[in-house]
Amino acid sequence: MDSTIALSIALIVVATLAGLVYRFFRGRGHSVSGAQCIKLEKLKILKDGEEITKFGKEATVVLFSTEYCGQCPAVRSSLAKLEHRKGGLLFIEVDITHRINLAAQFNISQTPTVFILNPAGEIRFRIGGTPKPTTIETELKKLGVK
Amino acid sequence: MTTDNHVDPRGPRFGAAITSVLSLIAFYLSLSNQSLAYAIVVALGVLFTWSLVSPSTHPYGWSFAKFIRPNLAAPKELEDPRPLKFAQQVGLAFALLGVIGGIFSAPLITVSAAFIFIAAFLNAFFGLCLGCQLYLLIRRVGIIR
Repeated sequence: MDSTIALSIALIVVATLAGLVYRFFRGRGHSVSGAQCIKLEKLKILKDGEEITKFGKEATVVLFSTEYCGQCPAVRSSLAKLEHRKGGLLFIEVDITHRINLAAQFNISQTPTVFILNPAGEIRFRIGGTPKPTTIETELKKLGVK
Repeated sequence: MTTDNHVDPRGPRFGAAITSVLSLIAFYLSLSNQSLAYAIVVALGVLFTWSLVSPSTHPYGWSFAKFIRPNLAAPKELEDPRPLKFAQQVGLAFALLGVIGGIFSAPLITVSAAFIFIAAFLNAFFGLCLGCQLYLLIRRVGIIR
C-alpha cells in the first residue's frame, strides 16, 4: 500500500483510539483514599439563598460547575432529582467561574466535576466529566443512602 | 447567567466535522503535494480567524443553520461560547504553525494538519473539545482570566 495512505489511515486510527479511551474513562470516577475534607465554613455555599452549614446525614454530593460548562445544567437537574428521591442526601453546587482558586485547591481539571462526601465531609469519590448514570447511586449505596 | 449568546452545541461539532475532513486531506497531501496542502492549511487558518472575528457570518455556521438545523430536534442544552472561542484560538495557533512554519520547514505543515485533524475529529465524533478542556486548566494557572 502507498505509504501516504497508510500514514493517513494511521492518523485516523490514533484519533479514534484516543476517542475510545476518552469515552471509556469519562464519567467513571474513582475512590479517594486520602481524607481531604470539604470545609463548609470556607466554601460558603449558598443554596436557595441560604448558606449551607451542615452536611447531609448520610452523604453529600458536590457539583463543581462553571458558567461556561455545557453539561452542567443536565447534571445539576439529575442530582437535584436524586436528592429529592433519597433520604439523608444533600446536594450542593459550587460555581467556580469566579473562584478559580478552588479548581487548584481540589485539583479540578474539568467541569462538571462531582464529589461524593461522607457525613464528616471527607471526599470519598470523585468523578470528572458527566457522571455515568448509575455510578453515583452505586457509590451512595456504599455510604448507606437508600 | 444570560443565555442570549449561547449556541447550539451541534453547530460547532458540525463545523469540526468539516475541519477534520479538510485537515485530513491536508495531511495526506502534505506527504506528496506540499503546495496544495499548504493552501488548505492557509484556508483552515482563514476559517479559524473568521470564526473568531465574525462567528455569525461563518460559512460553517451559515450552512448548519440553513441545511442541518432545520432537520434536527430542538437542542437539549445550549453552550456558552467562551470555551468554544478559546478552542478556535487554539485551532488558529496550530494553523499558524503550518502557515508560518511551513515556509521554513515542510514537515511542519504535516504536524499542523495532524494536530488540527485529531482535535477536530475528537470534537466531531466523540464530543471531546480539547480546546474547551484546556480553557479551565489555563484559567486555573492564571494565563487568561
